[in-house]
Amino acid sequence: MLVFAISDKGGTGRSVTAMNVVYRHALQGNDACYLDYDLGSPTAGAIFGIGAAARGAREGGLHEYLRGYRAEPLRLDVWAESDREALRARPPGSGRLVLLPGSEGGGELSSVDEEVVRRCAQLFGRLDEEFDLCVVDLSAGRSFTAELVLQATARLAHVPFRWLVFHRWTRQHIIAADGLVTGADGLLDVAARFGHDPDELRDRIRFVRTAVLEPGAAELAGLRDEQRAWLSTCDDELRELARRHGVGRTAMLGRIPLDPVLQWREQLISDEDVLASKIANAETAAAFDDLARKIVDDSAWEGL
Amino acid sequence: MRLQPRQQLLELWEAAARVSCRDGSWSWGGRDGSNSISDAEQLLCFMYPASELSGFRLDTPDETADDVLAALARLGDSVEIPKLLLKVIGDYLRTYTAEDGRPVFSGGGYFRTADEDVTPTAEQLRLDVVDSFSMSVTLMLGTLGFLKVFRQSVRRESIRREIRELEDLASRRLSAAMVGLLRSFTVNAFDPGSPQGLTLLRQVNQTGAPDRRVLDELRRALRPVRARLRDLTIGSGSQVDLDNDNLLFECGWTWGIVKDAPDVATPLPIGPQPKGVAADVPLLYFTVNALVGIADLFSERTRVLGLLDDEQLTLAQAIQRRWDLTQHYWRTVAMSGRGAWPLEDIPWQTTDERESDYFSLGVSAMVIQSLVSNRSSDVDLDRVAGVLEELAVRARITRRAIPGDPSVLLHSPGLPVRLLGGEELGPDLVWIVSDFAVKLLKRTIWAASIARNTGTRERLLTLADHVWRHISRRRFIDGPSAGLWDQPGNVFPDVEARHEEPSWYMTERVVEILVSAAYAGAETPLSSPELVDLAMQMLGEAEHLLDRELVTRPLVAGQTVQPKLRGVQAALQRARAILGDRPATALALIQDALLDLERLAAARDSATEAM
Repeated sequence: MLVFAISDKGGTGRSVTAMNVVYRHALQGNDACYLDYDLGSPTAGAIFGIGAAARGAREGGLHEYLRGYRAEPLRLDVWAESDREALRARPPGSGRLVLLPGSEGGGELSSVDEEVVRRCAQLFGRLDEEFDLCVVDLSAGRSFTAELVLQATARLAHVPFRWLVFHRWTRQHIIAADGLVTGADGLLDVAARFGHDPDELRDRIRFVRTAVLEPGAAELAGLRDEQRAWLSTCDDELRELARRHGVGRTAMLGRIPLDPVLQWREQLISDEDVLASKIANAETAAAFDDLARKIVDDSAWEGL
Repeated sequence: MRLQPRQQLLELWEAAARVSCRDGSWSWGGRDGSNSISDAEQLLCFMYPASELSGFRLDTPDETADDVLAALARLGDSVEIPKLLLKVIGDYLRTYTAEDGRPVFSGGGYFRTADEDVTPTAEQLRLDVVDSFSMSVTLMLGTLGFLKVFRQSVRRESIRREIRELEDLASRRLSAAMVGLLRSFTVNAFDPGSPQGLTLLRQVNQTGAPDRRVLDELRRALRPVRARLRDLTIGSGSQVDLDNDNLLFECGWTWGIVKDAPDVATPLPIGPQPKGVAADVPLLYFTVNALVGIADLFSERTRVLGLLDDEQLTLAQAIQRRWDLTQHYWRTVAMSGRGAWPLEDIPWQTTDERESDYFSLGVSAMVIQSLVSNRSSDVDLDRVAGVLEELAVRARITRRAIPGDPSVLLHSPGLPVRLLGGEELGPDLVWIVSDFAVKLLKRTIWAASIARNTGTRERLLTLADHVWRHISRRRFIDGPSAGLWDQPGNVFPDVEARHEEPSWYMTERVVEILVSAAYAGAETPLSSPELVDLAMQMLGEAEHLLDRELVTRPLVAGQTVQPKLRGVQAALQRARAILGDRPATALALIQDALLDLERLAAARDSATEAM
């Protein structure tokens, strides 16, 4: 299963959420890999705690592969390469966790040619056979990378794929997320140009809300009653807005609560962070876990 | 104990979901088994709040409130719940459609016989009942509205097809229920000298006036009703000879389709229209029940959502005319005379010489309904409040029952209403009516919501709180049905029967109460003109003082107004904005502002004194 992670705006927490989902999926006993297609700023290494590839791979990153300089992109086994103590030992029962980093100083694609599409499709096909879940993290907004993967998946009729659109729970983000999917030159528009069926693709797109401050969350305990009343009304209005833009609950696959750890330092949230040091909230880990399960669960994608 | 509709409704939903969804599948039926009424009541426990209250909507999965989802967690998530409802509604509609396509409105297990050991015949169990028509009208309108909105969230063709099919079935059932209501309406004319006539005159004559005069006055008061009843064309009740001015009459609904009722000619596809057996005399209980369901046919929601098609609107109009007339008739009779009202002479006696507090309650319901539409004075309402209070006392709701108290029989097992005409097909049929307390509360809340006088309103609300305490104690405390109704043994030590299964009959009626209480709570509070006046005057003073403060204060460069004065200014602006709707709140704001201003003035005064 290929899963493409995209967001309209930067700073949504797309990458850190996607990585946590891959991590959780591996912990659940599946082989998972993460492709850093955010070619303009390859920072996946940092989040996995792999210092050597903190700002992309010095050699053999995805850029070099796509441009044809290398036959195979570099693969990093997170269980072996991570500097973080908690990640170093592969927990018993868990699956493989592999990162395909971008190239340091790589830069965005400036155009998509036939050769790049072919190489991309080939890579996806190979990885899909090898892994249960491949998460492809795309750059924010409309980009050539998004076009590239749409073209590649149009050729891979037998490889199942899904899209996750990340957005924060604010007015602008909700409108932007909808625009990214249904607007002019949005995903559906571009996909139709490359031979996808827009209706079918629509069923493969779900939204993920990030940094959600639930009206009942513990973080709100310190708020004044007036602030809480205001917040609850705002939440209702956002909900209404989301429904109008087709980003409502039915189109949502998961909801990641606001967590200080994710706010201050983007990192994987391990069970130790929750249970031992207690720096992260259990709800956050549970939300990642849930998302990692639902991402491959057909009944969660059934919809209305 | 105050009614807290939202919280109570959520608790009730949680319990109802637990009982209805056992082992992952839907289970129908409660204490009296599964039949077209009980199943409709069970469904309405969910559908009624969902279609009446915006905070409880289930038709738009994207907007379902979180606490609602938590309460219904057993039924699934926001997407699964409407899908489950679709399935269950489909089950209901298909189960109660006969093979020839005729929607079925049978009373089933709700039918009893006068003798406990005798069971009704199978033919009797299949008879259509007015309660089922009325319940179906409410349920089908709720269903049609639900489907109409839910459809907008659905993209999958298979679900859309099912929605279209259900819309078709529900609309057909609605038409059939309306036709049923038209064929069970009855007008009963009788001679003033007959036993019926004498009973009616005795009931109306509360002052000992000469019977002749009372009779003349009654005839005159009922003339408009009589004239319009003569114009009724379709359905039953139109063949009675009302041209004879000497005859008295009564109108309303009997328990089922009237014997020899003519078919209603309509192009709507409702299948063959069944023959009736019910005697051609109105029964108070069924009349009141029919009125409740019928009111939904011309509610704002039905009109806004456009739930009826043209043919159905024609039927609805015919029914509405009967609704108006019935209401008018009973109001006139109940409030006639110059002294005490016949309504105040408790218990009410029906023309077949039966009397019960229940009938008094039924008549009060119609009186309150007419007060709602007439917006009449609070003096009348105050008298109705007196009746309601007395009924609560007499029914041992606000007073304790003594051992062997006959009033307890009204609640458990309930008042038996004889279904005249039913004996044609077997033993004597009766209908057990046990919802006295719930009906009383419903009327009380209703009356309170139209009271304009604070005293009357307080009086009614206090009564409502008392009755609610009684009703909430009748809830199951433990066992599988915990949280649902009805366990009268909790409040009446005399009642030995302990039930295991919930009664959807009672539970649905409690839901109706909670919904109407939620409605009442959403309206703007009562505001008295005196309070508005007072607030206006105080606001004038406060604004004047503030202006003076702004004038006398020396202006320091770079600083316009002190933060405190700015606060006062904002408070007064807000007070002006809300003064019309919430004068008391505005007063509180103004008083606060006045205090702030006074402290500044006092400080200045003390500085002057020290000079």
